[in-house]
Amino acid sequence: MIVTRSKPIEEIMDQIDQIMDQKICVIGCSLCAGKLKTGGEPEVKNMIRQLQDKRVNVIDGVVLKHACSIESWESLIKEQPVISDAEVLLVMSCGIGVSLLGRLCDKIVIPALDTVSLGAALNDEILLEMCSMCGQCTVGFFSGLCPKSGCPKSQLNGPCGGSNDGECEVRERKCIWTRIYEVMEAKNMLSMLNETLSPTEYNRGL
Amino acid sequence: MGLEEAIRSGKFIVTAEICPPKGTDISGLFSEAALLQGIVDAVNVTDCPRAMVRMSPLVLSSELIKMNIDTIMHLTCRDRNRIAIQSDLLAAHALGIRNVLAMSGDFTTMGDHPYAKPVFDLDSVQMLQVITKMNRGFDLMDNPLGGATSLYAGAVVNPGARPLGFVRIKLQKKISAGARFIQTQAVFDADLFNEFMDEFKSLNIPVIAGIIPLRSAKSAGFMIENIPGVKIPQAAINRMESASDPVTEGLKIAAETIDRIKENCQGVHIMPIGNHDHTKRLLEMCSLL
Repeated sequence: MIVTRSKPIEEIMDQIDQIMDQKICVIGCSLCAGKLKTGGEPEVKNMIRQLQDKRVNVIDGVVLKHACSIESWESLIKEQPVISDAEVLLVMSCGIGVSLLGRLCDKIVIPALDTVSLGAALNDEILLEMCSMCGQCTVGFFSGLCPKSGCPKSQLNGPCGGSNDGECEVRERKCIWTRIYEVMEAKNMLSMLNETLSPTEYNRGL
Repeated sequence: MGLEEAIRSGKFIVTAEICPPKGTDISGLFSEAALLQGIVDAVNVTDCPRAMVRMSPLVLSSELIKMNIDTIMHLTCRDRNRIAIQSDLLAAHALGIRNVLAMSGDFTTMGDHPYAKPVFDLDSVQMLQVITKMNRGFDLMDNPLGGATSLYAGAVVNPGARPLGFVRIKLQKKISAGARFIQTQAVFDADLFNEFMDEFKSLNIPVIAGIIPLRSAKSAGFMIENIPGVKIPQAAINRMESASDPVTEGLKIAAETIDRIKENCQGVHIMPIGNHDHTKRLLEMCSLL
């Protein structure tokens, strides 16, 4: 799941300040943003109301099934003809959806959300920073848990000096290394933690 | 005698910490250094501690060396990728800096530039591996260097962190990666420190214990709130609260802590809040001068 957060309305207004008179269509995404309540049907409706209050020329809003996976521009406007009438698309999806629409059409494309993390949905709970897409997966050393994404300092070889009594010094949560230690201990794999891991090969992801 | 030689000789080491200025005026640092000249074995120069923008430790370390004061330059992984780390290490060597303390660094959001991109390309263990390689004449990718570095690498550990099994894993990795000495975060609880040393004595690495003389009960509270991993016993805070001369009381508490741990470590590292006006007095109080 791609985790998004709503931008402050002032920031969105700053972006559309010069083009308020143009026809704007709000586009949501029912996949991750819908589940996270940042870009589903209710959020799109709410955005339309807010923009209308600010005298923005909103013509309509639509929620795509998945903004990150589109067959073609033609098939999209056939399904949602209102999009082709718009001059500006205000997109309430993750950055991937925004980028894809920006690439596909000749309209002005503006994001309404910030994309912050690769997360997971566990029942009603959203777990953040499950993967940092570093390009070289080493979670096999940690029985599936990822210290690179779970640790704010991306420590690969053990906790930083700020990890104490199991808590992370940066975020209000358990230190990922505490989790790793507990899991490895429970699975009788603690000795694997003695392995020193080399710096990540970032060119793999480039 | 430089730090490495002093440590090898087995003598009890005293180091002290100074922080580069936020600004271009380094005159205050010279007066601080003058207070430390002749009473410490080396001066640590910090690298934008608490993620606050300050002058590069390269410059200050180099200035201290010109004054004939050996330095331990801090280098964090927070602000540099592996190219910049190696570049700074080469520069350090060229400037005559011989001791480098490798650390992850306080997180960006704790400082005065919370919007900064946290780099953390390498972790502290990997930085120590880099130093070891460069001392052999190669960069991280095994390309030969035109002249090897000769850097004496140190690492940091928080002796108050628990559980100890957890601390052991990283400390052992740091030693295998090339750490030759350890400087610790501040010790306020001698029992916790001694417990730590009992556990790790067998690792056979010189440990220099960090000491912060408290200045007031308020400063103790500030440290608990703002410095990661600091544990100050309530008894010490009570003493600071009821002291008529808190500065002297803080020095007394520090001296007592040093007395209780000095049999168990190879040195102390003085990191006062503010300046070194009282460092000499503290060292006299615990007969280290």
